[in-house]
Amino acid sequence: MDSISLASLCLGAPLVAAVVGAVFWRKTSHVDLVSIAAQAIGAIAALAISLGVAAPATRTIPWLSFPGAKITFSLGIQLDALSVPMLLVVQFLALGVLVFSRWYLHNDRFYGRFFASFSFFVFAMTAVVVAPGLLQAFIGWELVGLGSYLLIGYWHDKAPASEDPEYQAGKPVHATGVNESKLNPAMAQLKAFVVNRVGDFGFVSGLAMLAWLVSSLPGFTGGDPLAWKTLFVAVGPVMASKAAFLGFTGAGLLTFAGLLVFLGAMGKSAQFPFHVWLPEAMQGPTTASAIIHAATMVAAGVFLTARIYPLLTPDALVAIQWVGAITAFVAATIACVQWDYKAVLAYSTISQLGYMMLGLGAGAAAGGYGAGVSHLYTHAIFKCMLFLGAAAVIHALHGVQDLGRMGGLARKMPFTAIATGIGTLAILGVPGFSAFWSKDAILAAAQTKVYLAQSVGDGVWAARIPWLLGMATAALTAFYMSRQWLVAFLGKPRDKHLWDHAHDPDKASIAVLLVLAALSLQFVWTGSVNPFSSGSWLDGVLRSPMAVKALPHELSHHIHLHTMGWTFALLCLGFGAAFWLYVSNPRKGGATATWLRRDPPTNLVWQFLANLWFVDKALDLVFAEGIARRGGRLVAKADLGSGLSMDTIVDNAVSSARWVGRFANLFQTGRSLAYAGWTLLALFGALALLLL
Amino acid sequence: MIEFLLSGPDRLLPYLAVSAVLFSLGALACAIRRNAVGYLMGIELMLNAANLNFIAYGRFRTSEAAAQGQVATLFVIALAAAEAAVALGLVFAVFRTFRDVDLEKVRTLHGD
Repeated sequence: MDSISLASLCLGAPLVAAVVGAVFWRKTSHVDLVSIAAQAIGAIAALAISLGVAAPATRTIPWLSFPGAKITFSLGIQLDALSVPMLLVVQFLALGVLVFSRWYLHNDRFYGRFFASFSFFVFAMTAVVVAPGLLQAFIGWELVGLGSYLLIGYWHDKAPASEDPEYQAGKPVHATGVNESKLNPAMAQLKAFVVNRVGDFGFVSGLAMLAWLVSSLPGFTGGDPLAWKTLFVAVGPVMASKAAFLGFTGAGLLTFAGLLVFLGAMGKSAQFPFHVWLPEAMQGPTTASAIIHAATMVAAGVFLTARIYPLLTPDALVAIQWVGAITAFVAATIACVQWDYKAVLAYSTISQLGYMMLGLGAGAAAGGYGAGVSHLYTHAIFKCMLFLGAAAVIHALHGVQDLGRMGGLARKMPFTAIATGIGTLAILGVPGFSAFWSKDAILAAAQTKVYLAQSVGDGVWAARIPWLLGMATAALTAFYMSRQWLVAFLGKPRDKHLWDHAHDPDKASIAVLLVLAALSLQFVWTGSVNPFSSGSWLDGVLRSPMAVKALPHELSHHIHLHTMGWTFALLCLGFGAAFWLYVSNPRKGGATATWLRRDPPTNLVWQFLANLWFVDKALDLVFAEGIARRGGRLVAKADLGSGLSMDTIVDNAVSSARWVGRFANLFQTGRSLAYAGWTLLALFGALALLLL
Repeated sequence: MIEFLLSGPDRLLPYLAVSAVLFSLGALACAIRRNAVGYLMGIELMLNAANLNFIAYGRFRTSEAAAQGQVATLFVIALAAAEAAVALGLVFAVFRTFRDVDLEKVRTLHGD
């Protein structure tokens, strides 16, 4: 089989499983096996592709044709250095999560539906990954949105958290910043969808603008203007062209279009201030979070940014780097005060996604492209495993997510503790674990960008601030991730009753956790047991034409050593702080650190962080309350001329419909003879019309 | 239409007249009879008026038209038989529900 047919298997098998599951999930719970079998086929096919791929392969079929404009949009499959590793990650993680879900969701009310929606989700993400052009990426993108909608709202009939006894029993004591009356799966799925709509508005505008720009170039001879190869070749001509829109021309126009598409990526990848949907998306099953946070939904945004990389101008990259840096830092600070086991992970995902954007924004010349993309892959593996570990912990504690009631779990669930521990070390960036290389590469790229800016003497601070925010985030990450693991797995059990009943998941699920843990070790990725040797570090990615090294070897070596030294010191600092606060010094009272512990939080910093920087509240106030509700009312009352407003039009439509109804009602007497009479009358009336 | 009938082939008009009278009687029965069985008889009268038309037109035109008219009539007869069966079933149902076949009493079709 050639690689294109194998890739069609990756695409088709989950889709078939989704259709079968959608039809039969009410009748039988065995649709889980269909999904797992399909996913196994997909994973094996993806493995075969990535082992055997020598040359990039592309096959497209024409789909939508506009002969007048010589435009033919096409769908198809493109396999190259970016899509093949991503395809493998998506298919492989999906298989792991499906196997784990059999244990986690055992005997659930909607058991089979989870597997059907999940397979659909994987199909959609695969369609994005193998897309040969921006249009298919967009179609898959929207389907990914639908898939996440189905998974987040899996328990669609659940009551709001404020009325849910299970939530109330399991929630942390200090669950602040959460609007419980608006927190249930149905609201969460809606929020995810609506927030993504805002981003997707940008995406589709950017898409239209690019299609217009490329197809109106004099060199355009027909075909698909949104195919990657057409699009990237057109960058130079577009910059030189005279096309203008809203006062932008040339490079400015391209920056504008690129940032519009990036707006879509911000929505999907939960970048500040669109990150608000991601923590609430945890209303879905934890295993759904495992795939959303790792390989599918949020990864799509970073993947798309990497995909359209040749389109992004230096100005656009500066904006992307800033967005990434702010996201990374804000989310990391919020994660420090979360007491919900899953919330810590959710904010850590947002923070890591910020890192990836920070890396991508550093620019290909600084090595940012390879760094951001490789962090996408390594993060997908260990974040998936961390979430599966969270599923194991929450299942073992009967739904309790409060870190404050955990503790000492390592003795009861050793495998989960080991796997999660490895994941924690990986996300910290400890040498020997996967993110050590990818995260340091991001920070090194950010610093390289500072040097590059210095060498041209322009935009030094615009490059330095994201780098500093990234460094600070490294320390914060070390703090909150080790805090989570230490509080949950070490120390004395804080809730003896819960601790007594805790247990590891079943064998298959443990196997999934351990395999993912093994993949979080560095040598799997670099091909070398020496953590400081880059070995074959994601050859395809780093040696892609976009990974240009602009600095002299000496300087770049210095930057890498410098970054390693500093990040190691920072992570020791973060880990040490967590260890001192939560393990060695847990019950000694005093004012030293009450504001980070379980004591009633009173100080302003804690309040600010626990209220999630007031971003959710501000957005709710401005958009949900302000524009949507009040603004809606204003629009409804606004005069459209001659005394008409939206309201009066609707009112008139309603009252005329009511009068028609009343008139028709006159004939509905219920007397059968009257009906017969009307029928005869109509018959003779028609006859009379015909004859006369 | 009227001109065609008056100037048409011989002897068609009497048939049509009988048919028209039959149809009118049937329609009248449907309009004024309150008894369900009488109502059904009215419907049968109208159907047979139509049958008579088919046969008459067929008879006084080509042989092909005659065959067509007779086949149509056979269909109508079969249909009328089926209709009678269903309608009598309905009458039984009405009688069971209302203990009467007076259609003036069947006035619950409006729901509440």
